Amino acid sequence: MGTSLKDKAERKAYWFILPSIICMLIVHFIPIIWGVYISFLDLDIYTLAQWTSAPFVGLGNFIRIFSGKVAVGQKFMRSVYTVIVYGLITIPVGYVIGLLVALLLNRNFVGRTFVRGIILLPYITPDSVAYNVWRFIFQARIGLVNKYLLQLGLIKEPLIWLVGKRALTAVIIASIWKGWPFACLILLAGLQGIPPELYEAARIDGASPWQQFTHVTFPLLLPVTKTLLVLNVIWNFHAFNQFYILLGGSPGDAHVPSTFIMQEAFSNLHYGLGSAMSVVLMVIVLIMTVIALRIKRGASHEF
Amino acid sequence: MTKRVKICVLGIMLGLVLLTSLAASGQSKAINFWLMPNAADEIHLPWLEDKAAEFQAKTGVKVNIEIVGWDVAWQRISTAIVTGEGVDVFQVGTTWNPQFAATGGLEEININEFGGKDAFIKANLESTTYKGKCYGVPWFAETRALFYNVDMFKKAGAQPPKTLDELCEAAEKIVATFGEGSAISLAGTNAWDLLHNWSIILWANGGSLLTKDNKMAMFNNDAGVKAMQWYVDLVRKGYASKACAEYNQPQADAAFVNGNVAMCYMGPFNITNIEQENPGLNYDVVEPPAGPKGKASFSGGSNLVVLKASRNKQAAKDWIKFLLEFDNMVEYTKNLTHMLPSQVEVFADPYYDSGVWKTFKTTLEYSTAYPPLGVWGDIETITQDEFKNVLAEYVNGTYNDKTVEKHLNAAADRVNEALKREK
Repeated sequence: MGTSLKDKAERKAYWFILPSIICMLIVHFIPIIWGVYISFLDLDIYTLAQWTSAPFVGLGNFIRIFSGKVAVGQKFMRSVYTVIVYGLITIPVGYVIGLLVALLLNRNFVGRTFVRGIILLPYITPDSVAYNVWRFIFQARIGLVNKYLLQLGLIKEPLIWLVGKRALTAVIIASIWKGWPFACLILLAGLQGIPPELYEAARIDGASPWQQFTHVTFPLLLPVTKTLLVLNVIWNFHAFNQFYILLGGSPGDAHVPSTFIMQEAFSNLHYGLGSAMSVVLMVIVLIMTVIALRIKRGASHEF
Repeated sequence: MTKRVKICVLGIMLGLVLLTSLAASGQSKAINFWLMPNAADEIHLPWLEDKAAEFQAKTGVKVNIEIVGWDVAWQRISTAIVTGEGVDVFQVGTTWNPQFAATGGLEEININEFGGKDAFIKANLESTTYKGKCYGVPWFAETRALFYNVDMFKKAGAQPPKTLDELCEAAEKIVATFGEGSAISLAGTNAWDLLHNWSIILWANGGSLLTKDNKMAMFNNDAGVKAMQWYVDLVRKGYASKACAEYNQPQADAAFVNGNVAMCYMGPFNITNIEQENPGLNYDVVEPPAGPKGKASFSGGSNLVVLKASRNKQAAKDWIKFLLEFDNMVEYTKNLTHMLPSQVEVFADPYYDSGVWKTFKTTLEYSTAYPPLGVWGDIETITQDEFKNVLAEYVNGTYNDKTVEKHLNAAADRVNEALKREK
């Protein structure tokens, strides 16, 4: 009797989630399946109008994007390399700055709430606004970066930042500025979750501030840190706005997968190749997500 | 319980079907028209709406007008071609027309319905073709010429250039008077017009982008290398600012419009910019300076095309005919867009023989259209990619005698690869 009631309730619950499942199917899953299907087709400008009858090429598109012999393969692999380099710098640097500021903000001082609000400014500024401002800051002729570097005597003539070898550096600097407040916010929340008794006990045991940090603060921040890093790695692979706005739609050697996919699929109308690259990107991010969930589960076991 | 839900779902679906069919039946006397921001919105939209009302009074067909930005137009149109919905008649850039024709999503046009082949400027008519058939109607034309700052030229004692060599002479004088980078403004790596501006130099040097049969790249021959080196030299010799390497076209144009730089290759549409941003600018326009092999310019503009899947093709064609009427063309080019008509007879209006318009009209007569190919988009992307690499090498300090040749050869290999896909 009890179980059948429970069954009935559960069945009712399915009806309630049905609308959202249908919506998810329509706006998420069906397009994803289509996207995967397109990655096996030679879908380009000539087959666009009747795309369902585009020739099936099996793994042809995937072979091309991983082939070092054709331009699209070289460029795609180069873009994956670029996004990895970009992540290896922006994520740790953003984390360290976020952590330092979080530690400072965790103390008591006048105007603490105000300062906490202020530091979120870069994070809440819309990407398009923030990166357009950075584009001006990095401009060779009128940009602030060159102006200060010239005044300080560090350079003799204006540097070109947004083209060539310095382009990635410019994006990295702007992205760190944009990204660290999020790390700070999460770490601050983590810090506030650490019971003050632990520090009291540590002090009584004669621990120095550094020892308090390495033995109390950092270990207790580890779960938050893990989640933060994994989230950052996932976002990192999707990096698009900062590259697109700062460097334009075709940034040459500073292409990342998202900008390159956009160019191939939507500007050059090579939908097959674009889908294949998107599928690869999706698989990478899926693997990251699985790792993220594992780590999260691990983290919740610890506490 | 389940029965009731089933009935509910059925009811909702039935309602949706009814709604869509109602909406569809309401549309039968209307066409959707997409165009780009060819003039300032505050004058553009009211004019279009007036014309749409006039057209509706004549034909009973309502025209729904939507202005679509150039940055999103390409994607909007490709979506319309895939889905067969959203639009009946729309504007495409001249270089887009053959590409969209290649998709099979555009309606073939019988040009005789619109006055025949001789009614249009040759380069613009050619841009509507794909594999010898016509898939659009030329709407307005534009071409590039050299704008120069009269005050700066006077102060520096320079003469408006007739040849590329004279351009360099004038640039020397201007740089001597106004400092490095003040002679000419160029768009660099972020420019969609990079290819257009370079092509003008290439053609003037006797070069060509592709072979006559459009099967192979040709821009990497001697003329091509020379033209590209000349282009980069404008920056290397200090005529143009190094910062040009990172300029996009609006930034390059702005440097001239603000009066900071003495010369710039621009189109008639830039006159709107000058009128809005710096009406006091004392400028004039000369034909693009000639190279060793004569004069050349790039032919651009926009065409009107009909979506093959449209259910109102006749109304769409009538709307095109209406827009191309003599008075509408004169008004649209003269008062709104500052473009040029692409119909030969419209040039009879005395306006086109006045001031700078005469220069543009003369230039248009010998300007060249790009080959009408389905893979043109790839060719444009590839060549611009490699041009950017040339400029990037210059910025990185690794530019030498071989740089241009190396990248043009790389571009040619990739273009030949792309041309193999041309069906």
